[in-house]
Amino acid sequence: MANPTWILETRELTKRLGGKPVVNEVNLAIGRGEIYGFLGPNGAGKTTTIRMLLGLAKPTKGSVHIFGHDIRKERIQILRKVGSLVEYPSYYGHLSATENLEAVRRLLGVPKSRIGEVLSIVRLTKEADRAVKGYSLGMKQRLGIATALLGSPELLVLDEPTNGLDPAGIQEIRELIKSLPGSHGVTILISSHLLSEVEQMATRVGIIAKGSLIYQDGIQMLRERAKSRIRFGVSDPEAAWRLLLSHGYQADWDRRQLSVDRTDDRTVAAIVAQLVRQDHQVYRVEEETASLERIFLEMTGTEGSL
Amino acid sequence: MMLRLLSAEFLKIRKKLLWLLVALGPVGVVGLQAVNFGLRYDYLTKQYARDLWGGLITNVSLLALPAMFIGLAIVASMSAGIEHQTNAWKMTLALPISKRQAFGAKFLLNVLLLFVSCTLLVPFTLALGWALGFAAPIPAGELLRAAYYPFLACMPFVALQSWLSVTFANQALPLTVGIIGMIAAMFGSRFPDWMPWKWPLLVNAWHEPLYSVGLGLLLGAAVFLIGMLEFARKDVK
Repeated sequence: MANPTWILETRELTKRLGGKPVVNEVNLAIGRGEIYGFLGPNGAGKTTTIRMLLGLAKPTKGSVHIFGHDIRKERIQILRKVGSLVEYPSYYGHLSATENLEAVRRLLGVPKSRIGEVLSIVRLTKEADRAVKGYSLGMKQRLGIATALLGSPELLVLDEPTNGLDPAGIQEIRELIKSLPGSHGVTILISSHLLSEVEQMATRVGIIAKGSLIYQDGIQMLRERAKSRIRFGVSDPEAAWRLLLSHGYQADWDRRQLSVDRTDDRTVAAIVAQLVRQDHQVYRVEEETASLERIFLEMTGTEGSL
Repeated sequence: MMLRLLSAEFLKIRKKLLWLLVALGPVGVVGLQAVNFGLRYDYLTKQYARDLWGGLITNVSLLALPAMFIGLAIVASMSAGIEHQTNAWKMTLALPISKRQAFGAKFLLNVLLLFVSCTLLVPFTLALGWALGFAAPIPAGELLRAAYYPFLACMPFVALQSWLSVTFANQALPLTVGIIGMIAAMFGSRFPDWMPWKWPLLVNAWHEPLYSVGLGLLLGAAVFLIGMLEFARKDVK
């Protein structure tokens, strides 16, 4: 049976379309109260995975357990406690936001007061009686989140909720999502193709590329991979590199720049002194931080490197 | 649950002109007969002198049949189109409802809308008869049979159009099937008895309209069940 510590768990989740695996043996594990960032480039299999989590698509192989129950056997009971927004928001354009929420509310059977509550959470109260087709993309996206929140879910699944939004809209959605676990005690699975978008809110991340999960751990572990380096700008880098190696420093020379792993100030001072003593002209000593984004790119771009 | 689904369905068709279409069908059919009887009053009243009401009802039914075929195709397409527009299926079917019931609700919505259309035929036909000065007694039984028997015999097509319309996002195919159905229904009397397009005409070798109604209900239920199972089986786009 499923591990009780995980609120959502998949085992060897696989989806083949036309013989080609779109999602390949993915083992997701999400704990209660986490904000789980589900990352991957476009077409990596994020949406297909999420569709299987919600029972919209059937896995070719493998299983999905949410709240410890199998989605294939207890789909309706599970979905009662799950709110979702898949890909772009779905709405009935000819109806107002209130009517859109009412259409879903009738299916969920929650009290009418929830409509006002979720509208105020996403700050759409003032626009609630306008036809949704006249909304901006950001407002439609917020309505989609309001719809997902309507049933007071324990698990919120948001698939690329900031896709196509301007920076202000992205910021707004991010603040909204960050506020949810604290004030509403929900677990959130949020997918994105941008690491920078989720790194500020996610507690754990899973990275999927070409259908396979290539990383799943705390965001802190990912940050540690983003080790910074000290770069030296010198007159003759190749000779300087040999010099540093001969003195036992782990220096790297990639024909463009000379660098060493990040180290303490005393070692840096010693290296500079050594270089100056040998008549090297030192132009720059800089610290270079590899961004998470670059690590993400390296991981997803060249899958084999992991 | 089914009631909740239906109430949501009725909410969704607000402001969509579906109700207008539902009323427009019988208005158009009876309106055309008003023109027909108005222009050829002497000729037609002489032809149907023995049974004026019967003549009117026969003429209304004759027009109502193709109108019903094309009407049900349009209604099914519009009610499914509400979901297709922004692919709301992925939202609705990720809610705690069964896919079978979601399909059932769409089918039931179409049946109810068509039922309202057919019901409206009754007062409109009565009003036309009175306006033409036809005397009592009104053949109530004949009038009700003319309104509801074809509706019941039409169930295979309601089920088929509901199924096609929810399955294909592009409504060109279901509408084409609907138009072909309408044309086929106009030539229904020439078909053998086993052809479903003939059933709404209520004509068969036994001269018993209820046989046509029964066949329609049976095949309608079968098509509905197949459609529902297929809808529940396949992945949501």
